[in-house]
Amino acid sequence: MEVTNLSDDLMTKEVIADPHGYYRQLRAADPVHYNERWGGWILTAYQDVVDVLRDANRFSSDRMGFLAQELSQEEQELIAPIFKILSYWMVFRDPPEHTTIRLLLNKHFTPLAIERYRPMVKKIVQKTIQKSIAKGQIDFIKDFAYEIPMSVILELLGAPDLDRDKIKEWSEKIGVFFFIKADEPRRREIACEGINELVDYLTPLIEQRRERPGIDLISLLISAEEAGSLTYNDVLATCVLLVFGGHETTMNLIANGTLAFMQHPDQWEKLQKDPSLLKKAVEELLRYDGSVKSTVRWAKEDVMVGGKQIKKGERLLVSLSGANRDPQQFNNPDGLDITRDPNLHVAFAHGIHVCLGASLARMEVEESFLGMISMLKCPKMIPGTDLSYYPSLVHRAIKELPVILEPIN
Amino acid sequence: MSKLRVTVNHNKCVGSQLCVQFLPAVFKLNEKGQSVIITTKEIDQQSIISTAEQCPQCAIKVLDADTGEVFFPPAELEF
Ligand code: HEM
Ligand code: SF4
Repeated sequence: MEVTNLSDDLMTKEVIADPHGYYRQLRAADPVHYNERWGGWILTAYQDVVDVLRDANRFSSDRMGFLAQELSQEEQELIAPIFKILSYWMVFRDPPEHTTIRLLLNKHFTPLAIERYRPMVKKIVQKTIQKSIAKGQIDFIKDFAYEIPMSVILELLGAPDLDRDKIKEWSEKIGVFFFIKADEPRRREIACEGINELVDYLTPLIEQRRERPGIDLISLLISAEEAGSLTYNDVLATCVLLVFGGHETTMNLIANGTLAFMQHPDQWEKLQKDPSLLKKAVEELLRYDGSVKSTVRWAKEDVMVGGKQIKKGERLLVSLSGANRDPQQFNNPDGLDITRDPNLHVAFAHGIHVCLGASLARMEVEESFLGMISMLKCPKMIPGTDLSYYPSLVHRAIKELPVILEPIN
Repeated sequence: MSKLRVTVNHNKCVGSQLCVQFLPAVFKLNEKGQSVIITTKEIDQQSIISTAEQCPQCAIKVLDADTGEVFFPPAELEF
C-alpha cells in the first residue's frame, strides 16, 4: 500500500485548494487511513462513509463529551461558553436526546413545509440579481450568495430585523472553533466571544417570544420547553445552531455551485435550455463540490471499518467530499453532470443526523440558480482572480469570488 | 377506503430513521441501514401520508394499490 508520498497534513495550501485531488489519492492508496497528525482515522470511500454515518449505535456524535475527556478541568472552564451551548446542539448529541429535538423540529423542515418560503426566496433572489446587474461586477459571495440564506433563516425565526452583519461576524467567530488551524492559537477564545455575543443578542428575543408567542421556530421551541420536552439550554442552543448552521453552508454552496458552472459553461447552457433539470442540477452541485467537506464520529466500541480495526474511543474524520467522488459509486466522479440520476450523495450526511435544513437549503439554491439562468448569462470570473479558500477541514468556503454579470437581452 | 401501496426508493433513502420513529409498525431498517416496509395492513391513509411527508428525501411513495394514483409525494416535490 503506497501511502508514503501523501503527507498527513490536511491544512497545506494544496489540500485546501484541491481537497478532491488529495482525497482521490488517499482513497486509492488507503481508504481507511490512520492520520497520525490529526490523531484519527480518515474515511474516503463511499461505502465506509455511508456505513459509519448510518450506524449511530456504534458511532457517536458527542463531540463535546469527547473533547471534555481530552481537556483538563482548567482548560474546560476557559471555554465554558462553548460547552454550555455546543453540548446542547442536536448535531453533537446521540439518541435519545437527539431524537427528541429532531422529531420536534423535523415537521417544520420537511420538503412540503418549506414550500411556503419559496415565494419569499424568489423575491429576494430577483431583487438581489437586479441590484447585482446594476453593479455589473460584484463579489459574488458578499453581494449575492450571502443575502439569500441569511434573510431566510431570520424569517424562520420570525426576526427579519435582526442585525445581519453582526450575526455574520459572530457566526464567523464561532466557526473558528471548527477550524483545525495551527496558526490561530486563540481559536477557542475567539469562538467563546462569538458565542457570548450571539447568546446575549438572542436571549432578549427568546424572552420576548415567551411573553408574546408567534408562529415562528423560537416560539415553537419555547412551547416545547414549557411542555417539559426540552430544557432552556436546548432552546437557547438550538436557536444558536439554526442561526449558525442556517446561512454559511448555504451561502458557500451557492458560491461553489456558481464556480462549478463557470468552469463548465456547457452545463449552465444545458440548464438554461431545460430548467426542468433544476433539482437534479442542485443535487449534482452538492455532490460535486458541497460546502461541508467532512464530519467527525467517535467509535463507541471496537469495530471493523473497511477491513481495519478501529478501537473504542478513536475518532473518525468522515470525508463527505471523498465519498462524493468515489468511482465505485459514481461514474465519471470528477465530471459535473447535471443530469446525473441516481445521485445518492452524502453532502448532507446520511443517517439520523442528516441535515435538518436540507430541504430548505435545496429550495434556496434552486431559486438562486433558477433566478440566475432566467436573467443572466453564465457569470465570468474577473481575469487574474486568485481563487483561495478558508483553511478549514470542515467548510469548503471560497474567500472572494469576483465575477462579471451580464443580463440576457 | 382504497387499498394502499407504499414503496421506499433506495436510490433516495439516506437512513434517517424518521419513518421508523413515526411508524415502527410499518417501517424498519434493513442491514444496509435503509428503510423497508414491514406491512401496511391496518394502517390508515392519513398516518402513512403524514409519515411520508417527514422523509427529507421524498423516498416514500404512497399510492392507491388499484388505480396507481399517487397520494404522496406531489410531482413538484420529487427530485
Ligand atoms: C447547503 C447547505 C447545507 C449543507 C451542505 C449542510 C450540511 C449538513 C451536514 C453534513 C450535516 C450533518 C452533520 C453530521 O452528521 O455530523 C448537517 C446537519 C444539520 N444541519 Fe445542515 N447543511 C446545510 C444547510 C443547513 C440549513 C439551511 C440549516 C438550518 C436551517 C441547517 C441545519 C442543520 C442542523 C440543525 C443539523 C443537525 C441535524 C441533526 O443533528 O439531526 N443546515 N448539515
Ligand atoms: S424517512 Fe426517508 S430517508 Fe429516512 S429512513 Fe425513512 S425512507 Fe429513508
